[in-house]
Amino acid sequence: MRENHMKAVKEIIASVVKNNIDLVTENWLEEFILATDQPAQLAKVFVMLPRKTGKLPVAITNDQQEILHAAGFGYIRNWTIDRLSRVWLLSTLNSEDKDTFYSTVDRLFLAAEINEAVALYSALPFLAHPEIWVKRCAEGIRSNIGSVLEAIIENNPYPSGNLNEAAWNQLVLKAFFTEKNISSIIGLDQRANPDLALTLIDYAKERWAAGRKVNPQLWRLVGKFINAEIFETLKVGLQHYDQIEQRAIALAISESGYQPAKDYINTFPELKLALADGSLNWNSF
Amino acid sequence: MMGAPEAFDINAVKGMKFFDPHVHMTSRTTDDYQAMADAGVVALIEPAFWLGQPRTGLDSFRDYYSSLIGWERFRSSQFGIKHYCTIGLNSREANNESLAEQVMEILPLFVYKEGVVGIGEIGFDDQTAAEEKYYRLQLELAKEAGLPVQVHTPHRDKKKGTQRSMDIALEHGLDPYSVIIDHNNEETVKEVLDRGFWAAFTIYPFTKMGNERMVEIVKQYGAERIMVNSAADWGISDPLAVPKTASLMKMRGLSDQDIELVTYRNAITAFAQSGQLNETDFNAQIDLTRKFEGNTILRGGQQPRTDKSSIIIS
Repeated sequence: MRENHMKAVKEIIASVVKNNIDLVTENWLEEFILATDQPAQLAKVFVMLPRKTGKLPVAITNDQQEILHAAGFGYIRNWTIDRLSRVWLLSTLNSEDKDTFYSTVDRLFLAAEINEAVALYSALPFLAHPEIWVKRCAEGIRSNIGSVLEAIIENNPYPSGNLNEAAWNQLVLKAFFTEKNISSIIGLDQRANPDLALTLIDYAKERWAAGRKVNPQLWRLVGKFINAEIFETLKVGLQHYDQIEQRAIALAISESGYQPAKDYINTFPELKLALADGSLNWNSF
Repeated sequence: MMGAPEAFDINAVKGMKFFDPHVHMTSRTTDDYQAMADAGVVALIEPAFWLGQPRTGLDSFRDYYSSLIGWERFRSSQFGIKHYCTIGLNSREANNESLAEQVMEILPLFVYKEGVVGIGEIGFDDQTAAEEKYYRLQLELAKEAGLPVQVHTPHRDKKKGTQRSMDIALEHGLDPYSVIIDHNNEETVKEVLDRGFWAAFTIYPFTKMGNERMVEIVKQYGAERIMVNSAADWGISDPLAVPKTASLMKMRGLSDQDIELVTYRNAITAFAQSGQLNETDFNAQIDLTRKFEGNTILRGGQQPRTDKSSIIIS
């Protein structure tokens, strides 16, 4: 199922790449794809690619965009052609021999500069044998380079589909710490879990103690797990009377099944009203 | 709270001596050394850390450790600042297990060298099993070597990470008095002190502790077993964080005795347990004619100065 789905996506990407490069470059890439010594050639071709493709934003037709969007890859239209070509190149690699495939690509990670690393992490959802890239993805989350982190955290279906809970939680925490766009994390709500909620609660308390604000999206990951203990922290937040924070906490509570918290929210007329008129949702923060 | 920002007036702490027990001079410039010396920093500890990106081979670890004991120590001496270091495999890089194994093998070559005052900075970053494994192995190494431990606590999930770091240290039979828990904040300080560990605070803009908050912490918890550092590194940080904080403490009415404890004396007491730190070594004369393996820091009499005028680091 996944195979067929990805095959169609890769075909569209191939056509987008071809529409955005000249014939000489296309032939050069075709030559590599047919080469029998791909592993030996890959590093050079991968590193050299931007010299051949340029670095302009990709142009995508409406039809292509529609199909990519439906498949969950609509975000590709914001990429540059060198990034997309690199991702596509990696997606075409011969992966029958898993060990060779792994070592060939892993070598690229080890020597990557920023743009290469961005392309490599962007390619994770397109690489064969997704399970062998889990450690590499977890390592990427340790990066402190903004664009590399964004390539992993934002609009990338690989982490939610493949990371274990500890690594996933680390990704979400790191996203808050480095002020990434939380709502662009794929699988965010589906992979919410009690451990993450408790860690985020500690983080919120730390921020408050330091006199700093808390990203309202944080409460989105807490709602489902509200219990007596978490409720105590939420009360502290509500009593800060910061309107955005209050609304986010109210929304989280409205998504929980914890009745004492729901009753408590009803003692705030403004919040009760905001919830009742249905205009409050996570996109409003 | 404050009105207009106050200027950092060095005169408020003129004549005081400071010890920065955590600063990554490898990633700082020579004029930072100069400014630190001018502000009264007489000695510092440089903990082994990561370079902002992971090292991919053993030799780069070896060269890095060598530089902490070699060139960096020399460079510091050229400004009259006594340079010590702690040696360890940092938590982030512990996750590369095959490399971590090799690093563990060379650590004993470095931790017994003169002027190495602890194993550090070690601990947790994202709290993985691999990080725990190498933290434990290095605690054992510290015990065997009779060295204090400088524990880095994680940025993320700090409270649990700090508790876990202390639990594990105790489990390995370390005396909490030989363990310095670093990067504390309002949420961790009480437990660290209650359990008998040293509580270090990093005054680092935006991310860690601000020095106004630091003043409040010393007011609340007193000066015993508390120390202040800059952890200045390749990020936007301030190598004058210790003298600036002392100056702010003075302005906010803390006693000279408490200021001296948290910005100088406590760190010396803690790390002198290594037997490798002696206050009398701080006063060595600067000898600008000295060279390190034939090399000098002097370049045609340049005297770069920095403008570090604001006292507040928040």
